[in-house]
This record gives sequence, structure tokens and C-alpha cells, in this order.
Amino acid sequence: MLELKNIYFTIPESEEREGGRRNIINGIDYVFEKGKFYAITGPNGSGKTTLAKLIMGIYPLSQGTILFKGQDISPLSITERAKAGIAYSFQQPARFKGITFRDLLTIATGVDDERKLLEILGRVGICPLSFLDKEVDARLSGGEIKKIELATTIAANPALAIYDEPDTGIDLWTIGPMVSLLKKELAERQTTTIVVSHNRAFLEAADVVMIINSGRIVYDGNLEGAMPLLDDLSVCTYRDSCEGERDAGCYR
Amino acid sequence: MLDAIDKTLLKTVADLEGLPKGAYNIRKNGKLLSRQVSANIDIESNAEGTGIVVTVKPGTKNESVHIPVILSQAGLYDVVYNTFIIGEDADVTIVAGCGIHCGSSEPEGHAGIHEFQVGKRAKVTYVEKHYASGDGRGRRSLNPTTRVFLAEGARAEMELTQIAGVDEANRVNEADLGPDSMLLITERVLTDGDQSAVSTNNIVMKGAGSRANMISRSVMKGNSKQIFYATIDAQNRCFGHIECDAIIMDNGTNETMPSLKAGHPDAELTHEASIGKIANDQLTKLMSLGLTYDQAVNRIIQGFLK
Repeated sequence: MLELKNIYFTIPESEEREGGRRNIINGIDYVFEKGKFYAITGPNGSGKTTLAKLIMGIYPLSQGTILFKGQDISPLSITERAKAGIAYSFQQPARFKGITFRDLLTIATGVDDERKLLEILGRVGICPLSFLDKEVDARLSGGEIKKIELATTIAANPALAIYDEPDTGIDLWTIGPMVSLLKKELAERQTTTIVVSHNRAFLEAADVVMIINSGRIVYDGNLEGAMPLLDDLSVCTYRDSCEGERDAGCYR
Repeated sequence: MLDAIDKTLLKTVADLEGLPKGAYNIRKNGKLLSRQVSANIDIESNAEGTGIVVTVKPGTKNESVHIPVILSQAGLYDVVYNTFIIGEDADVTIVAGCGIHCGSSEPEGHAGIHEFQVGKRAKVTYVEKHYASGDGRGRRSLNPTTRVFLAEGARAEMELTQIAGVDEANRVNEADLGPDSMLLITERVLTDGDQSAVSTNNIVMKGAGSRANMISRSVMKGNSKQIFYATIDAQNRCFGHIECDAIIMDNGTNETMPSLKAGHPDAELTHEASIGKIANDQLTKLMSLGLTYDQAVNRIIQGFLK
């Protein structure tokens, strides 16, 4: 349902290496199947979030093509991709002055009927009713805003839902219900689900674990098969520059 | 008595479909158009004949007063002095507002000087909207002044809004806070084209335990310009906060000068100020929910000025 064809995202290299260019996403080909749960993981800076943002159209492709339900969506704007059925949950959600959770739900669903909004809240489950008229501003805690972010994504009934680190700021007791909720949406609506995460709960829930490193897919398959590689990647790659203890146990 | 233009102006500045319930005073083109008093709220013209005195009896609860002003006469600059005396323990809402309809090339304007004396433990909610319309090219100016005196334990919530169409505004808010009193001012100003607005706010915190919060939201479209001054002068143990945010669109400009003066060791004063374009992450988020760029901009501004 989603096909990435030889996609690249290239940026100018940092100032010290003048004139150079660097591929953040370095030639990815992949086919995501309808109704499956994908977990994308990999070290910091490997390109996971960039890949997710290329799919949503937040970053422009430097090269390659993205097909969604057979249609080339590469030239489409964020708005057009949203209307085509892709939803995106941000790692660090925007905060607004004067816009409430209710407003965001209404924008996402076109529903402003109180009873229907309450139904949606019931379905999403992890947001208390008291959230509905809260402003989505700087007063919300990190966990509260992430729940709201997840809820607006689910409420839009997307064919493809992308979640960038949905567990950031979420307490341990909510991660389990959050995983169950995504699985339930997938089972009931065949929502193709992509979660970028380091959290084992999401990796275990996924049908397919993908590991990204240096802008390429270095593994896709079940979690068991991914484990040796994940252990390898957890070894510090910064020791040369950090000049710390030989093994300080710092999993960067 | 009310013509079509009057009705539109009244609807916009005072949310009135016709004549309001309860006490009201409607002023049109510098003259009294209609007035009604209630058992607890009296309205009289002042001795000089330049405005009204609204007196609310002590203990009056849940009543409201509407005092809209409408202008549709070319070349008129209407100045009005209104005084509000709110009795002890009363709880009332005052809805003011000025609508200008300018159909010619002559300038029109209004200056409303409003003074509030709020008695002990009384609470007043003051809502003021300013709006101008019409095809005429005459400059429309609105220069409101509010002066608030809060007695011990009194509370005032003021919502001051300039919606659209005002070419020039010189807004002044002054407040004098007694012990344990509380003041909340929310000012929202939208300018466009070559319009300009200056807002000057001076809050003097005289009483121990007084609290003040001044919130300003400004949006500058076109080539418009806004200047915002706010000073909290703390003369006693108190808490004061200024929050001023300005969103620049097109080629608008803004100057914001919050100022805090602590004249007492137990004064706690804070301010936050920001000026800039609409944040990109806000636009991206709303577009990812299906809004177009323009719809996202409008929604963000609408929320910001809500």
C-alpha cells in the first residue's frame, strides 16, 4: 500500500566540510503492506524520523518516488497526503495558544457534535474527558500532549498512521494500553501502522521490525532475528570522539 | 429607531440582535439613542453632559449593563466620559463597544474614557469591542482609555478587543490595585493595511496581596504597526505578570516593551514576550490534519485572538 522507490534525502554538509553533501536517507526501497504493524528502530541520527517525515511530505524528497495505494504522492503537499489518508503523530507536538484538544479533534475529523466527539474519546481510551477543553499550550505536560497527539492521529481514521516515538514522556503504565490501542485500530480498520521507537513494547507488538542505520534499511523481519544486530548497534560508536572510559556502559 | 447599519454594528460590538434585556444605554452619533435602568443599576447623564454615570447597588448579582456607541455620521469625533461605580459585593458584567460605519471620505472617531470604581469584594467583568466598517475612505480612529480603581478584595476582568477596520488607535489602560484585589486584562488587537495601534498600560499595585495579569495578543497584517507598552509598578507585597505575544504576517511591524518595577522586597513580578511569524511546527501540524496552508494560518490566528 506504500512503496518507497530508491528514495534519497540529501542536505549540505556541515561548514567544516565545505561544499560537500550528505545523504540522510541513502537510497531506500521498500514496500509496506496494508494492515501490518511496522516498528522502525535504529541508533540516534540514523534517519528514522527523516524517513517518516519524507512519507508525510514534511521534508521534500531529494530523489526517488513514493507510491501510496498505487498513486505517486511524491509531488503532493502535506495537506494532500493527509486527505489521501496518511496521518502523522509528531515526536514533539506543536503547542498552540487558544486552540483546544476539541478544536484539533474537530479539524482532524470534521465532527463537532459533542456526542460524536465523546464517542471518539471513548474509542481512543487513553485521554480523560477533562482533556477535551484543555488548550494545547505550554501548560500541558509532555505526557498529556503526546496522548492528545496520538488521539488526533487515530481519530482521523487514516489508512496509514505514522507515529514518531509515541512513548516519549508517557508513563510506564500507559505504554501497554497505547500498544493495545494501536493493535486494536489495526485489527478493526486495517490501519497500516508505522511506529518509530526504541521501546521494546512496540518492537514486540510489530509484525515487522525494521532497523535503519546511516540512512539505509539494514534489517527487516521479526524481532528475534533483529536482536543480534540491535545488540551490535547498542555498542557505543562515539567512543573516539567522547574519549571516555573504555566502556562506560553508556548506550548512545 | 435602529437602522440596518446600526443593527450590524450593534451585533458586532455587543452581540446584540436588538435592544438588550436589563440596563442599557445606546449612544449614536454623539447623542443618547435609548436608555433603560433596572432596579439595581442606575444610569444618569453626568453633570457636564459629556457621558454617563452607571451606579450599581451593593450586593447586585448576575446583572449586566450594555453601553454600546455607534457612529455613522461623517466628520464626527465623539468623546465620551463614562463612570462606573460598582457597589460592595456586587457581581456584574458591563458590555461596551464602539462600532464606526464610515461611508464618506471624512474622518470619524470616538474616544471613550471609562473610569471604574470597584467597591470592596465586588467583581466586574468588562467586555469592550472596537470595530469599524464601511466603504468610505475617511480615517477611522478609536482611542479608548480605561481607568480602574480596585478597593480591598475587588476583582476586575477586562476583555478589550479591536477587531478590524480601525485606522488609528491609541489605547490607554490604567489600574490602581488595593489590598487583596485582582486584575486580569486581556487585550487583543488585529491591524491590517496601513493601520497603526498603540497600547499603553500602567498597573500600579498599591495593596498588599494584590494580583495582576496582563495578557496582550497582537496580530499585524499588511503593512500595519503596533506598539505595546506595559508597566507594572509594585509598591507592596504582590504578584504581577505581563504576557505579550505578537504575530507578524506580511510586512507588519511590532514593538513590545514590558516593564517591571519592584518597589517592595516581597513583590513578585514576571513577564514573557514574543514577537515572530507563526511557528512552522504549528502550520505543519494543522496541515497534517488536512487543512491547507491558508486555512491553517487562519485557524491559528483565530485561536490566538480568541
